[in-house]
Amino acid sequence: MFEHFQEWYDRRHDYARAWKDKDAGKVVGYFCTYVPEEIFYAAGVLPVRVLGSHEPQDVTEPHIFGMFCPFCRDVLAQGLKGRYDYLDGITIAQSCLHIRQSFTSWQKHVPVEYSYYLCMPHHVQSLRAHPFLTAELEELRKSVEGWTRAKIGDGELDEAIEVYNESRRLLRRFNDLRKGPNPPVSGEEAMLVSITNQMVDKRDHSVVLEDLLRRLPGRSVGNGTKKRLMILGSENDDLPFVRMVESLNAVIVADDHCTGTRYYWNPVEPRDNRLEAIAARYIERPACPTKDWPERTRVPHVLNLARDHRVDGAIIIQQKFCDPHECDIPAIKKAMEEAGFPCLFLEFDVTVPIGQFRIRVEAFLETLGMEDLF
Amino acid sequence: MAKAMYRMEPLKCWNKAKEIRQDYYRDYATAHEKGGIRWAGGAWTFGAIPEGLGDDVYSLTSEPYGASIAFDKSFSLKCLEAVEKKGFARDLCSYMRNYWGSIILDRYAFGGKFPKPDFLWQDHICCSHAKWYQVVSDLEGGIPMFCIDVAAGPYHEMNGHKLRYIVDQMHDGIEWLERITGREYDDGKLIEAVHNECRSTSTWAEICVLNKAVPAPLDEKTMYSLYVLGTLKKHSREVADFYEELRDEVAYRVENQIAAVANEQCRLMSDTQPPWGFLKIFRYLEGFGAVSVGSLYTFALIGMWEDQPDGSWGPRKTPAQKGVTIQTRDEALRILADWNMSKPEWQHFYSPHLKSEMMIRIAREWKLDGVMLHYNRGCEGLTVGIAENRLALIEAGYPVMAFEGNMGDEREFDEDRTMSRMDAFMETLGFKMVRA
Amino acid sequence: MFTAGIDVGAKAIKVVVLKDGAVAVRRLGLTGFEPRESTLKVFEQALREAGISRKELAFVVATGGGRKEVDFADGEITEVGGAAKGSVFCFPTAKTVIDVGAEEGRGIRCDSAGKVVDFEINEKCAAGAGAFTEAMSRALEMPIEEFGALSLKSTQAIPMNAQCAVFAESEVVSLIHAKTPKADIARAVHDAVASRIVSMVRKVGVEKDVVLIGGVARNVGFIDAMNRSLGFDVIVADDPEYIGALGAALVAHESVSHGRKS
Repeated sequence: MFEHFQEWYDRRHDYARAWKDKDAGKVVGYFCTYVPEEIFYAAGVLPVRVLGSHEPQDVTEPHIFGMFCPFCRDVLAQGLKGRYDYLDGITIAQSCLHIRQSFTSWQKHVPVEYSYYLCMPHHVQSLRAHPFLTAELEELRKSVEGWTRAKIGDGELDEAIEVYNESRRLLRRFNDLRKGPNPPVSGEEAMLVSITNQMVDKRDHSVVLEDLLRRLPGRSVGNGTKKRLMILGSENDDLPFVRMVESLNAVIVADDHCTGTRYYWNPVEPRDNRLEAIAARYIERPACPTKDWPERTRVPHVLNLARDHRVDGAIIIQQKFCDPHECDIPAIKKAMEEAGFPCLFLEFDVTVPIGQFRIRVEAFLETLGMEDLF
Repeated sequence: MAKAMYRMEPLKCWNKAKEIRQDYYRDYATAHEKGGIRWAGGAWTFGAIPEGLGDDVYSLTSEPYGASIAFDKSFSLKCLEAVEKKGFARDLCSYMRNYWGSIILDRYAFGGKFPKPDFLWQDHICCSHAKWYQVVSDLEGGIPMFCIDVAAGPYHEMNGHKLRYIVDQMHDGIEWLERITGREYDDGKLIEAVHNECRSTSTWAEICVLNKAVPAPLDEKTMYSLYVLGTLKKHSREVADFYEELRDEVAYRVENQIAAVANEQCRLMSDTQPPWGFLKIFRYLEGFGAVSVGSLYTFALIGMWEDQPDGSWGPRKTPAQKGVTIQTRDEALRILADWNMSKPEWQHFYSPHLKSEMMIRIAREWKLDGVMLHYNRGCEGLTVGIAENRLALIEAGYPVMAFEGNMGDEREFDEDRTMSRMDAFMETLGFKMVRA
Repeated sequence: MFTAGIDVGAKAIKVVVLKDGAVAVRRLGLTGFEPRESTLKVFEQALREAGISRKELAFVVATGGGRKEVDFADGEITEVGGAAKGSVFCFPTAKTVIDVGAEEGRGIRCDSAGKVVDFEINEKCAAGAGAFTEAMSRALEMPIEEFGALSLKSTQAIPMNAQCAVFAESEVVSLIHAKTPKADIARAVHDAVASRIVSMVRKVGVEKDVVLIGGVARNVGFIDAMNRSLGFDVIVADDPEYIGALGAALVAHESVSHGRKS
């Protein structure tokens, strides 16, 4: 059922190259999920997220100091190694400092014809963010029009917004299926579905996802005894890790990651000013910690996810050296545990010690089981 | 020992600088005794704005406080361990961890219990800045907090809507301050504070320009003790006046060839904050006749700069120097926002290549032989992009020595290894240690 | 004319005596807990082997982390300087020197006179340096020489975290429990260390010819991993641990030749 998604995941670069060849379109690589992809898509550009490859590498040390997260270095390594040589442009919306370096080093050392740095506001809890971001998007629109020589008017934006909203709707429907007592998909499968959404044209993805949704009813990966888990934290696309966890009589039924629900959570709500509408969507989406202040909106959001998906516990995943999440994790862990959701904390690198993590996850699952005994 | 080439003299205004700093920390702690109010926020925050609340408003800026703790290694260690016990990661900003630790232990670095601020007034310059005070509020059982987002883009791209975003948040902030404190806001005090801030930061740049002289009248270790006043209250008349006094004294030193290092034969610059617990590395360098004349960090975190008519880098002209009189609150805020957005040290957050250009400019205009880069594990904000800065400096022909350390966590600084690297670097530059 | 170079390292003390600029004697001894005494012992042994007394030495230069223990030295040179000097003497075409010892790994760019142009030293986050490899050989219960040789028999590459020694060690333990063939584990460890070293050297830039020195350069598994990581073969010094002391001795010789003895 998931072969298509697996194929996209394994051969993401082939997909992008074929997409380019088909209609001589341009592909833009984005470094953060705050990038308003709709604007690029409206110009006929395919946005693909630049992700790492989970391989140790020795090429980024001259460019990024080792104390920045392994993910951002893995991302830059892909560029330096030519894996994304088909990209016509790169773009980033400012969030954390770590990934910003991947972008700025890429600008200098990996030739692309176009690059754009969007000043996505951090003060998303202020109403002032809206007019600011709307104005920034106006500049982005002009820039993309200049690059592609395509017009990005209301019509084009509406079409792009609809494609993206449809994709988000389908993903939310898919995600909702994991709330029930017999989830029809494993966490690994769910991760494949959501992460490939960042790699391919959403039109293509929606076709396959819609077909999947038709075939899922009646399927169950539960066995009545599996512990229901949530994973949350920094960027995470470590499929082998998820596979290992689910081999231990557990199923991951919820997530709060930017490769998961944080990416597709909310749609663009219609407004007369389309750029204002897009701005609102990105301002109001589940926040990255760099933008979650002064109030901690992530806490109620994560708690709601935990409740809605009836999780037994959560695995908090943090990329080594990820400052934004490190600032949040103690508060989130406390809130989760006080609400009755025990947490296991794990620090990630591009490769993880699967054996050692297995021991910890097993022990954690055992403690979840203890409550059932009494 | 080689014969001294230049005359040395202690700074006359040195003690005054120390007094200003000591008074600052005392005033914050005793604010309530005089019926005053006190707030906490970052050194980059728009400190001029709370001045409109009255003459009895005192602040505690976070980074210098964190650095002050770092000087006291044993207290710092206690703070850091207390924070780790609470579940926070060791690689977080070390200023922040020292500060949090001080709260957890309820111990003020300048004696007594930790004085809880009445409100938090912050700006979000790095991933941690607003989060810092979120945690402070958690630790203290809740403190009202207002934080301004300043990430509107590099200064050369500044335009109407970007400035508006910052200024509108400032307006919101003033309304919030009035609500929280119950005090009526005085625009006159704001305007005065803005003028003071422009004067102090422009004057600091003037002082740094004087260090282009050979021999350099100031060394960077000394400069830290002087520039810190700008990180405490650059908006105060006291600091602005002090910097003018300091500038005049430094100008005198230049005229009379009074040097920071008597045997100056090698000129260097550093970058990022130094390892505060190990400033002796600067004294070690002096053994080679090497002087660190400053850095983008020392020059441009407090200093405000612009191109001079002769094409060199120099102080930014203040509104007062341009004959501008500020009439309204909005004008004051616009000038304050624009002034701060032009801060050179702010630009690298958008691209390290902007910083590289400035560093190469400093190396050229201050006539440098080499650069020492502190790969500072304690501050992601200032270390961001440092590897690219290194490459750019090398490409521009400046030898670079990189050393790892931590500005506020002494466990991450290896003194012997760093000295050893310095030996190798000075050897590469062709300078030998002058033995007594 | 006799000159000497003394390299006081973390693990071992190396002494090289030159006669008229050519190598006459090489001696090595463990540093232990009393570096000053150990240095004197190895030094005296070298002099005896050369058949000379201390008075007959024209100039002595000390190098290495413990060089300040050599209070009778006439001069000193850092490990970086000594490594460059010694490497270029042995291999005149050397442009990049990679020095991997127990505690540190260094990447050095040098000119044809053996003068250092740029250098880098491995950072805190590194599964680098010999100490890690030795620890892993102990985990697999075999001497380090065997560990290196065994890695050449590996039939599959297993990617291992190459940033953090603690993580990497965890991964090795996992592999052992998963009954992964020892040869493959050995190769993974050597690849991880080589990757960290090459990562660091890339900061100064890799220009041929690349010479590998230091104690870890005796490890055939490490050499193989380095070659694969760089994409070409490095030149390995025959007695890699002596290069620093040789460089110091050469500087001593030059000091006398150019009349710089104080």
